[in-house]
Amino acid sequence: MSETEEKMKHLDEMTCLLYLERQLDRARGLEVSLHTQECENCRTLLRALERESRLLTRAMFEDNEPLPSRLAQFQQAAERSMQWIWGLAFGLAATGVYALYTQYIEPWQAQLQEAGFSGTNLLGLLIFQSPFWKGWQSMITVLEILAVATLGGLGVMFLRRRIRRGSALALVFASLCAALLAPAPASATEFRKGDRITIVKDEVVHSDLYVAGGQIRIAGTIEGDLVVAGGDVEVSGHVMGDMLSASGQVRMTGQVEGSIRGYAGNITLKGKVGRNVMTFGGDVNIDHDAVIAGSVTTGSGRLSLDGHVARDLLAFAGQSNISGDIGGSVKIRGGELNIDSSADIRGPVDFEGEKQPQVSSQAKLASPVHFVKHTRGPNYANPHYYVWQVIWMAGFILYGLVLYSLMPKFSQEAVKSAEQYGASAGLGVLVLFGVPIAACIACITVVGLFIGISTLFVWYAALYFAQIIVGTVVGQWLMGRTGELWPTVGRMAVGVVIVRVCTTIPDVGGWVKFVAILWGIGAISLAIFRRFQPVPATGVMIPPGAQPLPPTTTVGGPLPA
Amino acid sequence: MSAPGISEPTEAIARARAGDAEAWGQLYREYAPAIFRFCRRAMPTREDAEDATMEIFMKLKNKLSQYDTTRSFSAWLYKVAANHCWDILRRRKIRQDKETEDVESVPLEHPEPSQLEKLIEQRSGEEVRKALEKMGARARMALVMRYYSDMSYDEIADALGVRRAFVGVVLLRARHELRQALEGNTAVAAGGAS
Repeated sequence: MSETEEKMKHLDEMTCLLYLERQLDRARGLEVSLHTQECENCRTLLRALERESRLLTRAMFEDNEPLPSRLAQFQQAAERSMQWIWGLAFGLAATGVYALYTQYIEPWQAQLQEAGFSGTNLLGLLIFQSPFWKGWQSMITVLEILAVATLGGLGVMFLRRRIRRGSALALVFASLCAALLAPAPASATEFRKGDRITIVKDEVVHSDLYVAGGQIRIAGTIEGDLVVAGGDVEVSGHVMGDMLSASGQVRMTGQVEGSIRGYAGNITLKGKVGRNVMTFGGDVNIDHDAVIAGSVTTGSGRLSLDGHVARDLLAFAGQSNISGDIGGSVKIRGGELNIDSSADIRGPVDFEGEKQPQVSSQAKLASPVHFVKHTRGPNYANPHYYVWQVIWMAGFILYGLVLYSLMPKFSQEAVKSAEQYGASAGLGVLVLFGVPIAACIACITVVGLFIGISTLFVWYAALYFAQIIVGTVVGQWLMGRTGELWPTVGRMAVGVVIVRVCTTIPDVGGWVKFVAILWGIGAISLAIFRRFQPVPATGVMIPPGAQPLPPTTTVGGPLPA
Repeated sequence: MSAPGISEPTEAIARARAGDAEAWGQLYREYAPAIFRFCRRAMPTREDAEDATMEIFMKLKNKLSQYDTTRSFSAWLYKVAANHCWDILRRRKIRQDKETEDVESVPLEHPEPSQLEKLIEQRSGEEVRKALEKMGARARMALVMRYYSDMSYDEIADALGVRRAFVGVVLLRARHELRQALEGNTAVAAGGAS
């Protein structure tokens, strides 16, 4: 027999492997067995493959790496984390109550005050007055650190998937340290606090000034920004920068060359403002003597504008009275609008409210007021309503599609978290109410505006994402669970349609939407939280436990003789 | 697939299903080392293995109710681990290497038995582990599933998403790749016919 003929008779490697692994049928197995009894070459190959299998198994088992410390402590960390979440849930519930109180009860209290009952602004009382007030200075520092820590956390979250964990942590913490150790800006900042703070008329502060106190009087000159928080604030001096305020009552009779921003229970402007005004409060009065070179944006219970505004007015107010002059356009949304005879508005006026605006015939307007009657609840008789519902549904599904494509794993984690109803709902209350409050507070700190506004944007986007997560859960209830991406997207689409349909039900729809947002945003927060768990620990390394799983002892049967 | 001398933790599983944190901790302590080692072999880096181990156990909390108690717990656990690891690797598109070629194109040649035997005799476990790290994801995964966790051809086919008939081909090809990594593209790996 020639060498070639002999080679043709040898078993191929595939057959030998399948024989060793007992994957051949009985007849073929017998053939192989008989062949190898006669063929030295194939017997050697079988033996080599068998040894290769053993070598592989041995190699995989013999290196007993100890369990990394973070895995060793994983279980304990997970248990601790859940306890923490429930603590947070209680905190969140308290925050939610506080938010409801300030949103609904506080305005009633203000109205009672106007009616002659004694009292004071709740926020001012809680935050800016007496005993609590003394801790405000340190609170600013705490808020700054929290804001920087939040940024750091976000940095870790994004970086950990791109670079190795150690380097990500090192990079983020190095950046944080650099940020915290960075020298203060060249323009120094002056802090003053006390029950009564007064900057007398001739006094000049050559820097930014942070003032905190019960009663604050600024009659001098501030060459930088003025950041003020107090119960009763009066600025009759000259502020060359911006003025930021969070106070119970504010009167500005002097001059602010920059912008005025802030919250106040009652704010009265009588002086000059070089740029814009953005205020939120119970009452906003822009007096006859006030001159604002920029625009006015306000959200208030009552707005009275008798002064001069060079540019636009944007207002969300329960009641608006305009008797001054406005150089630009006017957009107001609220309950009532009165335009007096002395008013002079050189741009278009748009008003969306519950009542027809009262416009004096002697008022000077560039064009008639464009009025849109605000109706509570959807107009079911209008076909456009249904068209828009369909468009919204499509928009939601598209948004969900984008999110699932960009963050498939995170989205699925959020869906899983949503199945923990209690924790999701509890955390949802905290995040839904707590985050915007924290963001607004952050806006008035030094680190402030950027972080606050960014947080609000993320929070707002999360409100929509929350409905997508809930939609996915609903879809899974109907169509069963799946771990694959595209089937999950299909369930999301079905669920979102159902959720959106439910939100259109009269009377109940609003509550459905509220619950969906609460639940979904809690699930998202829970998923984010879990992304940070467990933290790398420096604890004791535990040796691997007793081997619970069997090594592959052998594959295939005994070698043929 | 039960380990000789180690009984199935039936009681701990039942208690963990009922939400007993202590029982869950017991299961974790008992099985985490083995699952970590499985992930260490299957995943390209140690950190990936750590991440995967944690994720597998987090997933397990939800999946524990699906476990059929009449079957081996460790076998089921390995199956979950294999599916999870392969899912991660697949998403990373690691298999966009030569493994995407048609598995049927593998040449079923007869290697030189004595040369192969010599190669195997000369290699240590450490060399094999290093060679495994150099291999493509699917090849490595197939070897780990078969020779570490002793999964059946059906289970491997299910985890890798290939037909059962191709599992042998995948394993053989993985062995060839391993030999290449061990030897550096020598004739043995290529299956030098005698």
